[in-house]
Amino acid sequence: MNLEELKKLKEKARQQVALREGEKKYRVVVSMGTSGIAAGARDVMKTLLNEIEKRGVEGVEVRVTGEIGLEDVEPVVRVEEAGGEKTTYAHLDAEKARRIVAEHLDKGRKVDDLAVGKEKKGE
Amino acid sequence: MFDELSLHILDVAMNSLAAQARVVQITVLESRKRDWLIVRIRDDGRGMEESELRRVLERGRSGKEGRKRPIGLGLALLRQTSEMCGGHFHVRSAPGQGTTVTASMRWSHVDRPPLGDLKTTMLALCISNPTVDVRLTYRSDGQRMCFSSQELIRKSESAREPQDGARLPSSSDFLASKNSRARPESRPALGRILGGEAVE
Repeated sequence: MNLEELKKLKEKARQQVALREGEKKYRVVVSMGTSGIAAGARDVMKTLLNEIEKRGVEGVEVRVTGEIGLEDVEPVVRVEEAGGEKTTYAHLDAEKARRIVAEHLDKGRKVDDLAVGKEKKGE
Repeated sequence: MFDELSLHILDVAMNSLAAQARVVQITVLESRKRDWLIVRIRDDGRGMEESELRRVLERGRSGKEGRKRPIGLGLALLRQTSEMCGGHFHVRSAPGQGTTVTASMRWSHVDRPPLGDLKTTMLALCISNPTVDVRLTYRSDGQRMCFSSQELIRKSESAREPQDGARLPSSSDFLASKNSRARPESRPALGRILGGEAVE
């Protein structure tokens, strides 16, 4: 940790706050419980944020939550559309996260081969 | 086991958010000179009963029976890291009083994980719950930095070596947690922090 990093953090945090205030098309929720973290959820989140910024995708809010009950398939990310539809992506890594940004968030096409079951809640 | 201390910090601080904290204060003190690295996560969340605390620390595994609060594994992991690296681990918590987790380790211990990507850890916490004030205080031998998600940067100084070492809490202050109540000037009670500096 150094001052330069702190400045970057400040900038990033500010961007995220600004994003929250605008209109949103997608909300991306990253599961960040112990199992998620151990499986690499933090890097997945970082990749999502970077890729969204790089591609200039607008109207996407990235949020972080605790365990969502899918410990065995972490890292897990849920994409919620403004219309209410939810897609859960599992077993992610940086490369897969980039695909989700490029295809789902940017072009609006679900990435079927990364998605898991329909609305599996908990258990 | 996490290979970065910043992942431990993220994990434990996520517990704080789950416990409805409004302020989460993360403190990292590292001193090569004194050969200590100390991590403290303090929140004003709902806190834990003594029995729950003991269970969480001793059992060291996430309880399925408490599914709504999958707390436990994270603390046990940090404890393991801390004790493995020649340090101490301490949790103070009571219902309504919040929770303070303190983990120390030998800076030079061969098994001590690097601090890692603290920036991304902070970012994750900031976007987890935007209404919570997530604060970071980082001190090393020559640096002191503060961050608050509510105020973004309150103060940052670099390369300033404090002249009177007495003003900096020494590692032993944090290790001797039982005595910490006797040092209100250096370790303000959570209530004072909330009353004095909190948002609102």
